[in-house]
Amino acid sequence: MGNNPVLEEKILTKRESKKGSAQPARSPRFDFNWAWLGVAPFFLFALAFLFLPSFSIVVRSFQGVDGSFTFKNIIAILTESDIINAYQASLSISVITAIGGGFFGFLLAYAVILGGMPRGMRTFMVTFSGVASNFAGVPLAFAFIATMGNAGLITRWIEAIFEINVRQMGFSIYTIWGLSIVYMYFQFPLMVLIMAPALDGLRREWREACENLGGSAWQYWRYVAFPILLPSILGTMILLFGNAFGAYATAYAFSGSFINLVTILIGAQIQGDVLYNPGLGNALALGMIIIMSVCMFGYAYMQRKTSRWVR
Amino acid sequence: MAFLEINNISKSFASTVAVQDFDLQVERGELVSFLGPSGCGKTTTLRLVAGFETTTQGKIIVKGEDITNKPPNQRNVGMVFQAYALFPNMTVGGNIGFGMKVNKRPQEEIQARVDELLELIAMPGLANRYPHQLSGGQQQRVALARALALNPEVLLLDEPLSALDAKIRVVLRGEIRAIQQKLGITAIYVTHDQEEALSLSDRVVVMHQGRIEQVGPPFEIYNFPKTEFVANFVGTLNAYNAKVLDNQRNVLSIEGQDIQTAQTLGAYKNGDRVMIAIRPERLSFADGQKKVNNLACTVEEVTFLGSIVRVQVRTGEKTLYVDTFNNPYLELPRVGETKQLTFSREAVLILHP
Ligand SMILES: Nc1ncnc2c1ncn2[C@@H]1O[C@H](COP(=O)(O)OP(=O)(O)O)[C@@H](O)[C@H]1O
Ligand SMILES: [Mg+2]
Repeated sequence: MGNNPVLEEKILTKRESKKGSAQPARSPRFDFNWAWLGVAPFFLFALAFLFLPSFSIVVRSFQGVDGSFTFKNIIAILTESDIINAYQASLSISVITAIGGGFFGFLLAYAVILGGMPRGMRTFMVTFSGVASNFAGVPLAFAFIATMGNAGLITRWIEAIFEINVRQMGFSIYTIWGLSIVYMYFQFPLMVLIMAPALDGLRREWREACENLGGSAWQYWRYVAFPILLPSILGTMILLFGNAFGAYATAYAFSGSFINLVTILIGAQIQGDVLYNPGLGNALALGMIIIMSVCMFGYAYMQRKTSRWVR
Repeated sequence: MAFLEINNISKSFASTVAVQDFDLQVERGELVSFLGPSGCGKTTTLRLVAGFETTTQGKIIVKGEDITNKPPNQRNVGMVFQAYALFPNMTVGGNIGFGMKVNKRPQEEIQARVDELLELIAMPGLANRYPHQLSGGQQQRVALARALALNPEVLLLDEPLSALDAKIRVVLRGEIRAIQQKLGITAIYVTHDQEEALSLSDRVVVMHQGRIEQVGPPFEIYNFPKTEFVANFVGTLNAYNAKVLDNQRNVLSIEGQDIQTAQTLGAYKNGDRVMIAIRPERLSFADGQKKVNNLACTVEEVTFLGSIVRVQVRTGEKTLYVDTFNNPYLELPRVGETKQLTFSREAVLILHP
């Protein structure tokens, strides 16, 4: 049998490359692409609101209170136990809620997309997740305090019914785990929101081809669906991690400075009356920028991997 | 007993009847194509054989074994989908070997089979490519190899070429046919493209609204369509509403002119109305009046199609097409010219509604 299409393609590429090289080399002076001018405002925007502030953070991380160059701030964030603890708290809460939100969010997204729900229900769940993923900050924290705080509705209710004092029994929502649960309220819907289209992208043909070749439902998930989804799952979890790591308002409204997170510490350094030390605040922010950048690169890498597969 | 028997199956989705009373016997090594317009139930019938849908009624039997209620992963029928069905996260080799892998076959055996199949589809050495690095045509070859890997009893192809461009389509359909014949595998090929169906099948099943209209070899389907639908769908058609004048001598009347057919009209009474059809290539322009089967016409349009020239003419109410082979010395009719059309008795086909 012939292999014409393969051959044709080869010939085609050859021809194209020939055409490419046959073009007269133009002087680089005339090579400026004027289309770039159109995006110039965006570059200016990015410069003004992204790069300049970041640059200023980097510069001021190395400045003492009097403005002179110093490594003191950097050394402080690497050695001071309060600061290390804050990073640890922020990291734990981010990891916990990224994994927890990722896991449960994935299950819900699966139920919504592949669970055979009626179309209307799907749309509702996805829209609701869109709203819920933005339900953060003061209202969320207040909702929690009002229901499960020391004087919260449910706390009181449990105490009345079982005639116990949960606070004396050591129950408190003002812990890393408590805050993690609060964070889940926006992490979980965000996972649903991002995973829903990824699950939708699983083609029926893949499942059927697997079945047709003798594969079981388990083998389909093991060899086909899960590997295809994995970059999206990991990518979204990285996003959740960053989302939790950068959260400030929710934590602040929830516990004031009771739980020492990096964001809360930065707030205290910059606007605080007692702890005022903008240089240290900037160094803390620099640490965050580095961690967030790693997240962003990780997410972009995962996205690229998926988009190559699912066209 | 035939190799594959589809015994009177029907399939309904809620209120839609997708397939109705579909009955077909396929012999071992035969390639049968399902031909029909979109929505006529071709895919559904194929999916019933593959087990992706359950029959509302009827039986499917392969080599004497009733598989009607078997789950799809225990049927050993290979399926090639329309497009984009390769696992994107696996290489070409991974895709082809997937069936053997889930069936727990040893790695060396898988490797050997993958190499053999890559040879068969003329893509040796591409085992490590990913689907997104292949052209559409290459992807469909790999899909074919994947479906063949487990030596299935029946190969099912659902419009495997419809997403490709015309040139590749023609090349690939020839290759599919060659592979099918080389392996002697029993195959069902679904298409809405009549040329594809006619060119690669042993038999064609023409479907319409969930039912079989006609089954037969391509030659028969084209030359002796039984129904108006088949005649219309397969090839170009000149159809006439005619009146039976003499059911013994097979004489009909169209547009007030007597014509004769070679087919028997014994089943009709004189005065009955019947549909008749004449293929464009069976009509020709006569120099003078012939004894039988003449129609006066006016030339409306002349279209040059390469190997043939298609002339559109008007006879009374009807527009007809007349095809003639092209040759450099052909004198093309002029638009507006009045001509005589003639045709043989054999060219007049009686269609059943
Ligand atoms: N899963 C389904 N649910 C409801 N109706 C369906 C389903 N699959 C097919 N149909 C209907 O059955 C009919 C035949 O469809 P199909 O077999 O896909 O036709 P074809 O392949 O010939 O284009 C169509 O009317 C289609 O709308
Ligand atoms: Mg179809």
